[in-house]
Amino acid sequence: MTRFPRHLYRSHARPLLAGVLVLLGGRGIAAQDPDPFSRLDGTARYNIELMIDSANAAGLPSQCLRSTALLGLSRKADGKRIVAVVQKQLNLLRVAKSALGGSDREELCGAAAVLDAGGKPGQLNAFRIKQKGRNDLEAFTVWADLIQRGVPSDDASMAITKLWQDGADDATFQSLFRNVQSDILQGLNPGTALQNRIREGPGRVPPSTVKPPEGQQENQSSR
Amino acid sequence: MTDSELHPYVELIAREARRPVFTDRMGRDRVMAAIHAEPTPRRDVRLWERMLEPRAFTLSPAGSALIAAGLVGIGVIAGMTSTNRDVRLPDGQPTVADVRVHLPVSDTVVNFVFIAPQASKVSVVGDFNGWDATKTPLVRAANSGRWTVTLPLTAGRHLYSYVVDGNWSMDPNAPLAPDDGFGHSSSVKIVSRGSAL
Repeated sequence: MTRFPRHLYRSHARPLLAGVLVLLGGRGIAAQDPDPFSRLDGTARYNIELMIDSANAAGLPSQCLRSTALLGLSRKADGKRIVAVVQKQLNLLRVAKSALGGSDREELCGAAAVLDAGGKPGQLNAFRIKQKGRNDLEAFTVWADLIQRGVPSDDASMAITKLWQDGADDATFQSLFRNVQSDILQGLNPGTALQNRIREGPGRVPPSTVKPPEGQQENQSSR
Repeated sequence: MTDSELHPYVELIAREARRPVFTDRMGRDRVMAAIHAEPTPRRDVRLWERMLEPRAFTLSPAGSALIAAGLVGIGVIAGMTSTNRDVRLPDGQPTVADVRVHLPVSDTVVNFVFIAPQASKVSVVGDFNGWDATKTPLVRAANSGRWTVTLPLTAGRHLYSYVVDGNWSMDPNAPLAPDDGFGHSSSVKIVSRGSAL
């Protein structure tokens, strides 16, 4: 019987072993991405997929729910917590759709954020009528931000709604955000900061006097 | 009645055959040496024994490399076929096996900048990368605390955060989103439409 010579093990085992490792490793890498929800327990996963299906059936933006679930996983929250947060967001999306009517999906995510921050469904009514060429995403974003920074919800609602009805563009909302943020950082009361900035112009917020922090100007550049 | 009784020649032949044969020692050794020189007749080996019998084979380094490359190829193909099995896509679309591939359409490139002179590792997480801190690391500019990365993003509202040495941090220059329910607020980036490729 022929014996397997040792020198053959030495010369060929390494490339073959490397091939096998790459084979196994490749499967591992491929297996990381496809199903992030596999890290959820069965019940949580079922509930989240059910809510995503419900959102799709109702014409709601399920990508918000999916992103929230992934965020919860990334933050290492337990399954019950993730389900509760996704459920809350689904409810907010339903209310936002009811308030805004047939808005596009991105707008509904923004409006749900306003409601989540403390806005009231009735305050969204002013945005129900769509204006050609205008998008209310920036308005909703600044609105939610103002409430997050401590501006009273009603004050924020009135200011944003007035600007929107006066035809303010995205740059105006961004300018308002920067000015109020700057004033708050300097110690001004959030509500007062907003009132001062709104009072500065008849319906329009003047261009930002605050120099954008480094990186801000280049945060978006069109191709 | 036997044959020998019938044929006297038969008895003669038998008698000759019974006679002892005397050979010299040298001749016998020659015969035995010749027999030993003959190859051993193959014994009847069963199939499974042949399958288990170790074999020696030689391969050139190029041959080994080819085999390794083949294994890698098999791994890649196996990975691709097993990827996305039973996966629910955004918007509840059916599994990938039933769906044509749609390449993501980016409307704008966004430059994320974070200033962290003391940090050793900064990445950005958001709804555009599944909130995976390993996917989008920022690169530190030489001799500065300025970290940057440029990403293609679709139009719309994007939530994101920076992860600085393992700690989540909001973008100080961007609007805040409400508390996400997990004890953290994300930053918001609105990517405007109209710059579609």
